[in-house]
Amino acid sequence: MKQRPKILLVDDDVDLVTVMRGALESKAFEVIVAYNGLEGLEKAKKEKPDLVVLDILMPVADGFTFADQFRKDPSLAKVPVLALTSFSESLGQPFAFDVSEYISKPIKPRDLVAKVEEFLKKAGK
Amino acid sequence: MNSTSSEAGKTTDYSPEQRALVLRLRVYINLRWLAIPAIVIATLVASLIFHVGFPTLPVYIICAIIAGYNFWLFLLARGLEKQEPDSVVRKAEAYGYIQVVLDLVMLTAIIHFTGGVENPFLFLYIIHTNAAAIFLSKRRVYILTTFAMVMVTALVLMEYRGTIPHVNLEGFVPPDRYKDLGVVISALVALVTLAYATVYVATAIVGELRRRQREVVVLKDQLLEQRKVELEQISGEVVKLVEERRRFVRFLSVVAHDLQSPLVATQSLLSYIVDGYTGEITDGQKDLMQRGIRRIDGLLTLITDLLDIPRIEAGQLNREMREISLNDVVKQATDGLDNLARQKGLTLRVELPESSPSVYASNRRLQQVVTNLTSNAINYTREGTVLVRAADGDNEVRIEVIDSGIGVPPDDLPRLFDDFFRGSNVGAKGTGLGLSISKRIVEAHGGSIWAESPDAETGKGSKFTFTLPKNRALVAEK
Repeated sequence: MKQRPKILLVDDDVDLVTVMRGALESKAFEVIVAYNGLEGLEKAKKEKPDLVVLDILMPVADGFTFADQFRKDPSLAKVPVLALTSFSESLGQPFAFDVSEYISKPIKPRDLVAKVEEFLKKAGK
Repeated sequence: MNSTSSEAGKTTDYSPEQRALVLRLRVYINLRWLAIPAIVIATLVASLIFHVGFPTLPVYIICAIIAGYNFWLFLLARGLEKQEPDSVVRKAEAYGYIQVVLDLVMLTAIIHFTGGVENPFLFLYIIHTNAAAIFLSKRRVYILTTFAMVMVTALVLMEYRGTIPHVNLEGFVPPDRYKDLGVVISALVALVTLAYATVYVATAIVGELRRRQREVVVLKDQLLEQRKVELEQISGEVVKLVEERRRFVRFLSVVAHDLQSPLVATQSLLSYIVDGYTGEITDGQKDLMQRGIRRIDGLLTLITDLLDIPRIEAGQLNREMREISLNDVVKQATDGLDNLARQKGLTLRVELPESSPSVYASNRRLQQVVTNLTSNAINYTREGTVLVRAADGDNEVRIEVIDSGIGVPPDDLPRLFDDFFRGSNVGAKGTGLGLSISKRIVEAHGGSIWAESPDAETGKGSKFTFTLPKNRALVAEK
């Protein structure tokens, strides 16, 4: 591994963040956390993460707003985004944005790590 | 708003009264075209067949004059069509007035040239005055009647006194009858009496008819206005209902999110421990925590199910409906269940039509139905096969889930799709809402769902079938 891959975690749920961060850091990923979409965008632009784990339903700026702005930045256009959806949220509505994969809540830490590794490998990191 | 719309209506629409007026004007013009040949024929018959001797040329000249002004009236009436209703009424009345005056003058002229008081057609005045009564105001009708009576009296008296020449109807009446004062006066009295009496009756009838016509128009306007107010009220209520429904669904989304978020977080925290990220734990601890995870799973499912019901009933599905491939839906739903079947040592077989029918449906919700039926089948079958079969029909598509499992007791069949119903032979597994939600989803798509047990083909287990209409209109109607 050339350098520790940088993962941006955008989620408003502190406990979920604890779990996801712990699981990812145990795999030697560098984890940056943002608690809403706006903060997520700022950090994404500054830190240039290799992958984003994004919660869809959040206060301030939700995942839709984040995703909409995120891809407009050319340096972030190709970054994989894993979207978290709780199973009652409407998957029927098409997300006007190319999310790499949907992961449905509840999140099993092992599954999340596996997905993250899979997409980082695909992206060649 | 009301006044502007009715004013706007006036420039394009005639009231029934106005239309009738213009129509009558045209009818009279047409009748006059018929009257001209009738006068000519009557003159020819009188002179050629009955050999009544009188100069016919003046009659023909008068006919030509009538034809002339009738053509003029015809042009005027045609011009009326393009004018504004208010001026149409005024003009139609004026033209009506003018034509009656002209007709009366022409009639008097003909009477003069065809024997004056001796001509039995003297009573034609009554037809004219009554015709006028049909579409002119009462006052004008009396003026015209009086005008006619004065004219005819003057004619007859002038002929009697010799002021103007008298044309004798040779061979029809004795030459001197017009000089018989008794004849003259009785004819005039009869004519005048009849004229006024019939005009009185005609105007009374016409007045009554007009009054009723106006009442009908007023009533119609009132009804229309009332209907409009009602419609506005109703559409206002519909808008309110739609808005309330939208707010309700939004509310449910928030409730779902807020209820599930802590559970999801708790579960993830437990999984975090179970997965060993916090260090080694004993098998006993692991087992207890997994039980906790399973209970939370059950609660999450229950919350989803409970919130699904009002969402489906609030018509949320309609917004999710698209043209989708039925085969894809079945494949996506059954793919996730392969593992479950294999774990139980069952075979999950999927039979799909070669070319996939397309249905107008919510992909996610249809998957939910197929998943529900198939996982039920897997759960309640100990050995054998679960078959999911999709078939294309003329008007509907049909999906069947057939298992070789424990089946449904006959007593349970009718209540199978009720809320919170759990089969008497399956224990307290699940929320008891799966099938009732499936039924709601299928019905929201305009389809139907039913169960048979045992399956008629295999003689065992059970068969769950649902159909969806292929006609998009039927789906949208629901």
